[in-house]
Amino acid sequence: GWSFLIKGCNKMGGPSLYILFEASSGYALFRLNESVDIGMSTDEIQLSVADFGKFTSLVGLVAFDPFQTAQQALENCNAISEGLTTDMLVNFLESNLPKTKPGKKAKYAVGVSDPKLGSALGEANIPCKSGAEVHEYIRGIRMHFPKYLKAMKEEDLLKAQLGLGHSYSRAKVKFNVDKADTMII
Amino acid sequence: GAGGPRGGAKVAVEPHRHEGIFIGKTRNEEILLTKNLVPGEAVYGEKKISVDTPEGDKIEYRQWNPFRSKVAAAVLGGVRDIHMKPGARVLYLGAASGTTVSHVADIVGPEGTVYAVEFSLRSGRDLVNMAKKRTNVIPIIEDARLPQRYRMLVGMVDVVFADVAQPDQARIVGINAQHFLKTGGHVVISIKASCIDSTSDPAVVYANEMKNLKEQGFKLNELITLAPYERDHAVVVGTYRVKKSK
Repeated sequence: GWSFLIKGCNKMGGPSLYILFEASSGYALFRLNESVDIGMSTDEIQLSVADFGKFTSLVGLVAFDPFQTAQQALENCNAISEGLTTDMLVNFLESNLPKTKPGKKAKYAVGVSDPKLGSALGEANIPCKSGAEVHEYIRGIRMHFPKYLKAMKEEDLLKAQLGLGHSYSRAKVKFNVDKADTMII
Repeated sequence: GAGGPRGGAKVAVEPHRHEGIFIGKTRNEEILLTKNLVPGEAVYGEKKISVDTPEGDKIEYRQWNPFRSKVAAAVLGGVRDIHMKPGARVLYLGAASGTTVSHVADIVGPEGTVYAVEFSLRSGRDLVNMAKKRTNVIPIIEDARLPQRYRMLVGMVDVVFADVAQPDQARIVGINAQHFLKTGGHVVISIKASCIDSTSDPAVVYANEMKNLKEQGFKLNELITLAPYERDHAVVVGTYRVKKSK
């Protein structure tokens, strides 16, 4: 079970580490279990990634916010690919991360895949980090993601990838056709 | 394509040693085939061959030309394992118009998935159109150098195939593997010697690329050259993050 409480620090006394995972079906926020040594080497993380049971004892799902429409999924995918935030993402994080009192330093960091997205979120007062360990945790999450969400099957995730892959790619091809036309004019 | 069977010629189809690939035998020749995922549809003008099963059904195959596909050339060249088989998830970098991708989609079948990445818009349009009919292909019009940009669209995969013809191909494959390739998953890379270094002997280029791939965390299993189908091309197969033996 991953129903741990979210406040406070991990056992090393450092800030808690959350992980943002951007899926084709929505945003998911994970958190490192409090008993986890946050300074674990990437080799040690790699060993725990292989087995779902082991990995869930390390990384728990905090919240998942599914995209409501194909349009919303595409807008978020376009932003994420550019390292930009969206209102949906900021709202999702703000409502699921512990509150920080004004003037106080947050007792957590959000691990993100893309450092550029990390600095954009930092400007929205959400402290982020990225790097080798965060990457290893995200590999583990990508590996086991469908198993975390009981309501979502692996086929549903593939369908979401397929739909979003088509809309994302179609927009690229079309957008650039228009751009080429503009240049001719 | 060239060298296809004459219309009406009797073709006997047998499974190839590689699961999901078939050989068609006529009186005069042997051709490589994949089982058409979308019967009735050809993708790029390739020949279709329909075979009656003993049960009275028809199975349609498509001819796979080794002069047009490096994967087909590697299979005919005797590669030990391409790791792309029924049910596999494949990240295909350098998908171009999707001709080879369509055959890989046939091979992995309805239970498999091909994430097909192509940056060129001209080829990308054909790729997107091909993927409309082959629903196990997820088209991704993006730069394979920047896997961050398409991380929302891709799950963990069993195999990364790369044919990106870039001097820093090993690095491109390495960062994609770091994001998407399962530990113990496989990589199949087509190396065009002249794209990496046009002045060196191809054998030297291959050796250098192997070294670069090792640095990216791959254990290399085999290298085969693609002659007579391609000049100065090789395919390298490797395994990602092999557990260190103690």
